[in-house]
Amino acid sequence: MIGRDKLSHLPERFPYSCQWEITCRCNLHCVMCYTDCFNHPDAIHRELTTAEILRIMDELAKAGTLELCLTGGEPLARPDFFQLYEHAIRCGFLVTVFSNGTLITEAHANRFAALPPHRIEISLHGITRETFELVTQGRGSYDRCLHAIGLLLERQVPLVLKTTALTLNQQEILDIKRYVESLGTVQYKLGEEMRQELDGGGGPFQYALSKQDLTDLNQRDPDLWRDARRRDSVEPPPCRSGMHSFHIDAYGQLQLCSGNRRQSYDLRTGSFQAGFFEALPTFACNWKAPPAPTLIQPTMHYA
Amino acid sequence: MTPTSIYTKHPDYVQRDIAGECILVPIRRTLTEANSIYVLNETGAALWNRIDGQRTAQDIVTGFCDEYEVAIDELAKDFTLLLDDLLSIQAVEEIAR
Repeated sequence: MIGRDKLSHLPERFPYSCQWEITCRCNLHCVMCYTDCFNHPDAIHRELTTAEILRIMDELAKAGTLELCLTGGEPLARPDFFQLYEHAIRCGFLVTVFSNGTLITEAHANRFAALPPHRIEISLHGITRETFELVTQGRGSYDRCLHAIGLLLERQVPLVLKTTALTLNQQEILDIKRYVESLGTVQYKLGEEMRQELDGGGGPFQYALSKQDLTDLNQRDPDLWRDARRRDSVEPPPCRSGMHSFHIDAYGQLQLCSGNRRQSYDLRTGSFQAGFFEALPTFACNWKAPPAPTLIQPTMHYA
Repeated sequence: MTPTSIYTKHPDYVQRDIAGECILVPIRRTLTEANSIYVLNETGAALWNRIDGQRTAQDIVTGFCDEYEVAIDELAKDFTLLLDDLLSIQAVEEIAR
């Protein structure tokens, strides 16, 4: 009568999972960041207000969204972050927070522990202070990040640590992974994807590892190598963005996914229901199969 | 199930209707529950919706049987199972007996 499980029977199009970039503000300036170009006062001034986010969040809850990822920028750089976070938890979302960790204080850790997230994913881009701060461009960020990890671990907040593979940290990635494994309950993720900046800039790509470098790195660790081989051996599944998942940017624009912002629907002026069910299905995506032709259908003829 | 018992829903669980399914989301989950949500089947959801901190278990079963064609003994058995499950995850508590 009661099962401890994940939902399995969703309609083909259902707004189950949302990634919400609630701000482009950030206290750091990571070299590969694609949102930092909008981390300035003019752009921040245009971001959604607290009231707008709460209203849209209520619309998502009503529509049946279950998974809600709050990302940035640095979500905790918003002064109203905990108001938003705690509202999301009380709405019954499974909330994931992507953070650089460096703004998490003891008081914040206590608030996370009191209303725990589904998980917090913290970026750990180096195992030495020098490398970490070379990536984040923020003096003192290494110590603050490790301190935050300790605070969350002490309180048993579900935690994932992750690294973006870069030319700057490639020599430390396996040490980072070993460090994470030594923490016991913490999961580790290695990201290989580099994104163009939101204003079209290509700055992040200068730090991208070559395919060969990535292969060499993955070959040095059994887990990474197994994952890489699995990725390479199977055809990626058809893109499901806009079907069960969607993205909202810091200005209230509803999009297919974080990586495809070519078309948007304005949630400041329109309803989420109309945006998801009427606008998103019309948005273009390079990774989706083209719709089947409707005017000419192939048939079989037998003589 | 004690027929005269009254149960109330624990405020640390949020009920969500996701694509027609009734699920319970614990908002003060522990590390081991981090990925858990609880999905109620149709009967379970209908009974859960009748738990209000006022009606006795017997009232709930009787009221349900008045509305749907279902054998009272069978339903009482199902409700007992549901209450056991809900009590074990602390989604309800008994407030009077």
